[in-house]
Amino acid sequence: MGTLTIFRREVAQYFISPFAYLIGAGFLLFTGILFARDFQTAAYQTVPINPAFIPSVISFITVFFAPLLTMRLLAEERREGTLELLLTSPTSEAGIVFGKFLGAWFYYSVLLALTFVYQIILLTYVTPDPGHTALAYIGIWLYGGAMIAVGMLFSALTENQIVAAFFSLITLLILWIGDAAGEIIGNIEVARLLRGLSLQAHFSSSFAVGLFKAEDVAFFAGIIVILLYLTIRIVESNRWH
Amino acid sequence: MIEAKKLTRYYGDFLAVDHLSFSAKCGEIVGLLGPNGAGKTTTMRMLTGFMPPSEGSAAIDGHDVISESLEARRRVGYLPERVPIYPDMTVRGYVQFWARLRGVRDVERQTDLILKRFSLYDRRSKLVRQLSKGMRQRLGLAQALVHNPPVIILDEPTIGIDPQQVIEVRQIVRELGRDHCVLLSTHILSEAEDICDRVLIVDQGKIVAQGTPAELQKLIRSNTYYVQIGGASEKDIRIFLKGLNGVQSVTRDGSGYLVQASGDNDLRADISGATLKSGYTLLELRQARGSLEEVFLEAVRTDESSQQPAPEHKKKR
Repeated sequence: MGTLTIFRREVAQYFISPFAYLIGAGFLLFTGILFARDFQTAAYQTVPINPAFIPSVISFITVFFAPLLTMRLLAEERREGTLELLLTSPTSEAGIVFGKFLGAWFYYSVLLALTFVYQIILLTYVTPDPGHTALAYIGIWLYGGAMIAVGMLFSALTENQIVAAFFSLITLLILWIGDAAGEIIGNIEVARLLRGLSLQAHFSSSFAVGLFKAEDVAFFAGIIVILLYLTIRIVESNRWH
Repeated sequence: MIEAKKLTRYYGDFLAVDHLSFSAKCGEIVGLLGPNGAGKTTTMRMLTGFMPPSEGSAAIDGHDVISESLEARRRVGYLPERVPIYPDMTVRGYVQFWARLRGVRDVERQTDLILKRFSLYDRRSKLVRQLSKGMRQRLGLAQALVHNPPVIILDEPTIGIDPQQVIEVRQIVRELGRDHCVLLSTHILSEAEDICDRVLIVDQGKIVAQGTPAELQKLIRSNTYYVQIGGASEKDIRIFLKGLNGVQSVTRDGSGYLVQASGDNDLRADISGATLKSGYTLLELRQARGSLEEVFLEAVRTDESSQQPAPEHKKKR
């Protein structure tokens, strides 16, 4: 009930704000240019096109986009004082946090869906492996959910949106680079640990190469659940001071 | 409707609300009167279910704010001191959002009804950020009332808006008081007098005095007079006033003087008579009405039954 109302408000908020359209436009421009170049290269070199190319690009740029999507989610509520009204309405903290998370994830899903246009363009020239494509998209969708959960956690911690965006960006960047760092480190234990914690590593070596690993699905789902739980507790803590 | 029992709230070691007990009925407007930091907001936050009490309990319409929190919250309309807004929503969208969140059945109709009631219907498509301060205050009230709650809690509802709007808001509160239980906080004595059926004076988290406005007025046995005299220098006037029988002290206040009587006798006749006799011009003479500070000091004094220095007169209304 409350979750749905909050979800609706968040989604409406994204679609009435010019900022969200700018994010969407930037997202499409960026992926569009890279797609066109990749397509061109593939055509010249007659190598098979990689169906996970666009999802892989998204995995990197979402590191920068996700904080922009999530920074206002709870920080704004705190700054404007509306959090106090939300917390005195007949809705649970969990309802508030879920509603907001789902709203942001929905907007992200719409952005993802827009990039299907590249797959359609591909289909008119080649026949990429549909399983590979689907897995890459499922992977990036879950990865995006986890990134949004990270961003929301920081948005709950401060009333300053810029601070929230900054810390989520740094965190996501570290979680992204952990994958590459793990690949160049000689010590296998450290490398495993780094890649085990890195969000990117759970995408790049499974979904992105067309491999389904249940543990990676569980990893992203687990990250989302844990971070949402922490966010709920942080929102709750607003009652104490 | 509202039942607070020994409500207590600590912030760390600081005791903000100290075993506060009171109740309020339907059809009653109760005012929490006190200076900033007296614990008014904290008390309200505990009643609205925003903040759990450290000790004690509170119930709204028979529902405990902790154990039956959602039921209690459903029955409260709350306007915090700073009207919480979503700047990028339309006026109508904003009210509809709170209506939905609080489970109103006919959201569209109820929203339009409340917007018309607060004269915001013409501005329903405007963004909240475009509203003036007074209109935001009305929007805040609309939000608090859209689900038709039996209990309404308003934190300083007239702060920061212009006098015309203050009159409007007070009028609205008075109307609400007929069939709701209204709890409001204020630090303006005249406001409490004007709209409340009962006033609780709060200081340092405790109720130091309570009663109807008329009863509280009696607490201030004002023996201070405001006098404005023309036709003489300040020094002469001071000497003249101090020389009068029964005058304890004379202090400058704006363009006039505050004369404190030593006893309970009415000095007005003496002052006016003597002024005329001495050839000065009497421009103004009135009994200085008690300010909030006086009520406080008086209440605290009665509380401790100890003699304290004369209250300072700051602002007169």
